[in-house]
Amino acid sequence: MIVLKKSLSRRTMLRGLGAAVALPLLDSMVPALSVRAATPAKPVNRFGVVYVPNGMIMENYLPKTEGPDYETTPTLTALEPFRERFQVLSGLNCTPTPGRPGGAHAKATTRFLTDISPPTSETWLDAGISVDQILGQELGKQTQLASLQLGIESGETAGSCDSGYACPYTNTLSWSGPSTPLPTQNDPRQVFERLFGDTRSTNANERVARTREQKSILDSVTQEVSRLSGTLPPADRSKLTEYLDAIRGVERRIEIAEKENRQLPIVDHPEGIPASWEDHVKLMFDLEVLAYQSDLTRVITLMLGHEQSGMTYPQIGVPDAHHPISHHQHEPEKVAKTAQINAYHVKMFAYLVDKLRATPDGDGALLDHMTLIYGAGIADSNSHAPVNIPFLLAGGGAGNLKGGRHTHFKDVPLANLHLTLMDQFGVKWEHIGDSNGRVEPSMLALGA
Amino acid sequence: MSVRLLKWLSLAAVATGAWSLWADDPATVKSASVTTGVPRVPQAKAIIQQYCLGCHNAKLKTAGLLLDTANVERVGENPDLWEKVARKLRTAEMPPAGRPRPDPSTYRSVAAELESALDAAAAAKPNPGRVPVHRLNRAEYTNAIRDLLALNIDGKALLAADDSDQDGFDNVASILTVSQVLLENYLSAAHAISALAVGDPSLPPSVETYKYSKLLVQDDQMSEDLPFGSQGGGVIRHTFPLNGEYTIKVLLRRQFYDYIMGMGEPHQIDIRLDGVRIKRFTVGGEANGTTMPEGFAGNTQGSPEFEVYMHTADAGLEVRIPVKAGEHEVGVSFITQLWEQEGVLQPRQIGFARTTNENYHGNPAVEFVKIGGPYGSTSPGDSPSRRKIFVCTPKTSAAEEPCAKKILSTLAARAYRRPVRDEDVNALLGFYRSGRAEKDFDTGIERGLERMLAAPSFLFRVESAPINVAPDAPYKLSDLDLASRLSFFLWSSIPDDQLLGLAIQGRLRDPSVLRQQVNRMVRDARSKALVDGFANRWLGLSKLASLNPDTDLYREFDENLRDAMAKETQLFVADQLKEDRGVAELITADYTFVNERLARHYGIPNVYGPRFRRLNFTDGVRGGLLGQASILAVTSYPNRTSVTLRGRWLLTNLLGAPPPPPPPNVPALKDPGQDGQPRSLRERMEIHRQSPVCASCHQRMDPLGFSLENFDALGKWRTQSDGVPIDAAASLPDGTHFEGIAGLRQVVASHKEDFVRTFTEKLLAYAIGRGVELADMPAIRKIARDAAQQDDRWSAIIWGIVNSPPFNMSVSGDGKPVKLAQAGRNGPGEIK
Repeated sequence: MIVLKKSLSRRTMLRGLGAAVALPLLDSMVPALSVRAATPAKPVNRFGVVYVPNGMIMENYLPKTEGPDYETTPTLTALEPFRERFQVLSGLNCTPTPGRPGGAHAKATTRFLTDISPPTSETWLDAGISVDQILGQELGKQTQLASLQLGIESGETAGSCDSGYACPYTNTLSWSGPSTPLPTQNDPRQVFERLFGDTRSTNANERVARTREQKSILDSVTQEVSRLSGTLPPADRSKLTEYLDAIRGVERRIEIAEKENRQLPIVDHPEGIPASWEDHVKLMFDLEVLAYQSDLTRVITLMLGHEQSGMTYPQIGVPDAHHPISHHQHEPEKVAKTAQINAYHVKMFAYLVDKLRATPDGDGALLDHMTLIYGAGIADSNSHAPVNIPFLLAGGGAGNLKGGRHTHFKDVPLANLHLTLMDQFGVKWEHIGDSNGRVEPSMLALGA
Repeated sequence: MSVRLLKWLSLAAVATGAWSLWADDPATVKSASVTTGVPRVPQAKAIIQQYCLGCHNAKLKTAGLLLDTANVERVGENPDLWEKVARKLRTAEMPPAGRPRPDPSTYRSVAAELESALDAAAAAKPNPGRVPVHRLNRAEYTNAIRDLLALNIDGKALLAADDSDQDGFDNVASILTVSQVLLENYLSAAHAISALAVGDPSLPPSVETYKYSKLLVQDDQMSEDLPFGSQGGGVIRHTFPLNGEYTIKVLLRRQFYDYIMGMGEPHQIDIRLDGVRIKRFTVGGEANGTTMPEGFAGNTQGSPEFEVYMHTADAGLEVRIPVKAGEHEVGVSFITQLWEQEGVLQPRQIGFARTTNENYHGNPAVEFVKIGGPYGSTSPGDSPSRRKIFVCTPKTSAAEEPCAKKILSTLAARAYRRPVRDEDVNALLGFYRSGRAEKDFDTGIERGLERMLAAPSFLFRVESAPINVAPDAPYKLSDLDLASRLSFFLWSSIPDDQLLGLAIQGRLRDPSVLRQQVNRMVRDARSKALVDGFANRWLGLSKLASLNPDTDLYREFDENLRDAMAKETQLFVADQLKEDRGVAELITADYTFVNERLARHYGIPNVYGPRFRRLNFTDGVRGGLLGQASILAVTSYPNRTSVTLRGRWLLTNLLGAPPPPPPPNVPALKDPGQDGQPRSLRERMEIHRQSPVCASCHQRMDPLGFSLENFDALGKWRTQSDGVPIDAAASLPDGTHFEGIAGLRQVVASHKEDFVRTFTEKLLAYAIGRGVELADMPAIRKIARDAAQQDDRWSAIIWGIVNSPPFNMSVSGDGKPVKLAQAGRNGPGEIK
């Protein structure tokens, strides 16, 4: 019997650093790694997204009244201590393009940041660039990584995905182009290494040597790609273009890293995926905060689960798989259990909000300099309704964003809100996906 | 060949030995006759006129399908359209229910007429389709490193996971994209692998941790590689990078409050290297002082010395030994106690409780094995990787560069799967020189290898059209491209020297050479990739890893069962392939493979130990895929079976007739007993099916699922559910009555043609790494038709695929992917 799951490490922990514990080691981080701390001119605005699958039980989630005095709901209870730091937005729609029925769960994910309904495509890909990637092009100019894609579930064990749609549509929110979904990372150790490098040593000279080596490999490989590319028909060149884009990304990263020449934090490596789901989520949120804090990136998306997730939550008394039970058919017990999962997810989000609030950044805290979305791509999973989706907007948006209210839009495409949020970052697009206008900034207390 | 592959082979070879059916004699291949010329379609024309044109005409344009303007006598002018029509007729989906419909035999004969016309058109003008540039997926990369460098790596730790298509295949070229994350992974992997393979003496010591799940029961012998009479633990295959000293440290399982389990009595624990015992420890039984109260461990503490002991008793389970570079087996196990332990009898710990356990009695178990090193004076030694890499050793400094060139060219030809060009070698030598200048010869080779593993020529499969082919014209793949297609199909890896050599000599198109190679490759242990990469994914078993049964209901579930379920199917499919059975025997076979854990699950007595053995059945329950717990479990919910999921799985994966997705807002299933009457699931589903919207699909899916209701959500046999006896009788929409799994096997067997076609379709998609298109249907029918002459054997289907246009041909030029985006693309646009 093969029982070995080498989940912990191939690696490479210096002996003596020894028995690294998975949690909550990142708290030992020294703050103010951020290079930005030294240049307090204009506060940075960061963009974060936390996605939850399979919609929500709307009766339990959506406040009944609008405005600043809205009464909180059972699902949102865990966020009540942060009431003044987020808004509830309702009436936003992700209605699929007419003539493209089906694949409600796949589209829920893909549309959430691209505003595009992909056509039926089981073995190929066709969506469009997503909002986080559009913003990443701008916000990433100053940071080593343009963006980071995180997840909790692994897409590889999902098996078949939504009918008629290849798995990337449900496995990621982020697309750098119509056929380029960006994979999510769910292993904390791999995320850590992505952020802080793969050298086997903390010795500065060795790190410099390694960087030089990587650069020469990238140069040489780039030449090989152009040689290869010349012999190919255009249709085939796209894959190699992806490869070149990736090379440029790494080169840019090396350049910035060299310029910054920053000291690496002395932190223990996380040891792979923790056994408990809750520990796993918290550790990923810790890494997210660490990435913002050290200004390695300003754009992060994170999926708490995949649409049609078979995840069970026995720790809160729900041993049923999430997706099947979210098709509750109005049976009270299933409705209640689904709502329990929704509230549990919100509780996890509250952990992130709290942590961002507690992490100093410039003249305030990280939360002040964030535009942070929490939401789902469909409302009630039972009916696959893509209208009036659950959507929270948290953070201070670097002075642009207020909290503490519930605003209802009347049948407005989510794309319109995306455009308005992009405006706040100085990224002005005329149109995205199925947008038919913009949301009035004052509705969001934006630009106040 | 690695030890692991040999083991796998010997397991698969349990029953009978011979490979005889994988014969090398091409003379036995009869080819089915296909009529040439333009076949007439008199019946089709009349039937379409009578039943279809009423809606599908230029005026009504129903579903956008116009049959009056298309010429059925020239199907070759619009093959995709007629292929769709043939399929709708083959499955009797059209005309819709309620409209006048032909009788079943007319359906079949008209579909057959259309299909043979389509086949003739395709034979006259093949459309092989085109596979875009193909990135190696994680499994292929891992296997390629194994074959290139004699090094087993843990691909999962090095590379991001690959996405899969709707069928679950993760080798589909158009979905294997490249991202910055992946490129960073490739660079790190190249760095780590080259150092490991060459044996870089500057590798710093590190500790690798292997973990055993808390849900793995360790009460018995855990592996055939551990001695009889051993208990718990396991065997780790670890690559030791250098000759040097290493530490092996064992940490025992803790319960919820971190007390080490089973420390009430002494236990003996052995650490082995390659089967040889290094050291035996005694651990446990030395706790002094006052214990904590039974059942309140952690809540109320015992006396300090007791507490310390219970948390640290395993602190000394560590050895430090010299080990030679290369892969070795590290074994850890206890010695079975032949007496029952004293103490308060505890309930058997189950499921979730095992991870939240307060009980600290029972058997101790291994939770972590940590291997650290190398320490002391180290040297590269003589590892299998070094033997593979260093085909020469320079004696003088003048001999160094020629030797480096030889080493790197030899490796690059294998890695790039073609003869190397000057520019390839020059690029690699550049890196060799910088490494040589920095340190020594070995470092130079290490740098050259690192560059090679980041090369697009290694990471991508790029097929090239001959120069003189017209744009968009079909052409035969070059021998080199064909060799790669073969090796990635049958081995999920790079070609070996023999295959590559034949391709370079231009002999691969010789049918007898080709057949000899295909047979050789299937017999080779590397063809295990067909089981892992194809069968596992075709059957949807990648979900098994994330199976989360509700352990309040399925109390017996443990990791041992999960592993055994996966292994049963692997061994069974491998055996069918090796014995070259007809593929329908995957369903009808009367045998399977079980070990003790699985036998207990199935209620089979007298099977002991971790070894899987073949068992034949006469009761018609187990045997073949349908009675396998793996499949029955992944088609269930965590807390109940689902006739719909099982029915859908059968229709989609075995019969090639997937039902459309369900409409939203389906009405509720009434709970059992809601109106005071106990109801079986069947009764509830039948009420559900009274809705006409639901009925159209559920009357196809549910009967198939009902026949498997005797198996619970983990595939265990049962005779009642919800307090009601199981009724596994069912009838199909066409009136066929059948009952239970035995009846279901007959149903599938009676649709053998559909099954073989579906199997062929899936295997073809996997073989070429792209989704199957309508244009591939003539090829699929031909493969199935020819294979039918040879009892649908695996060899016949594989041979048919290898000889089909989609596999050994391609389309030149810009041949745009058939389907591409009319979709909205996002772009910055103009700001008004």
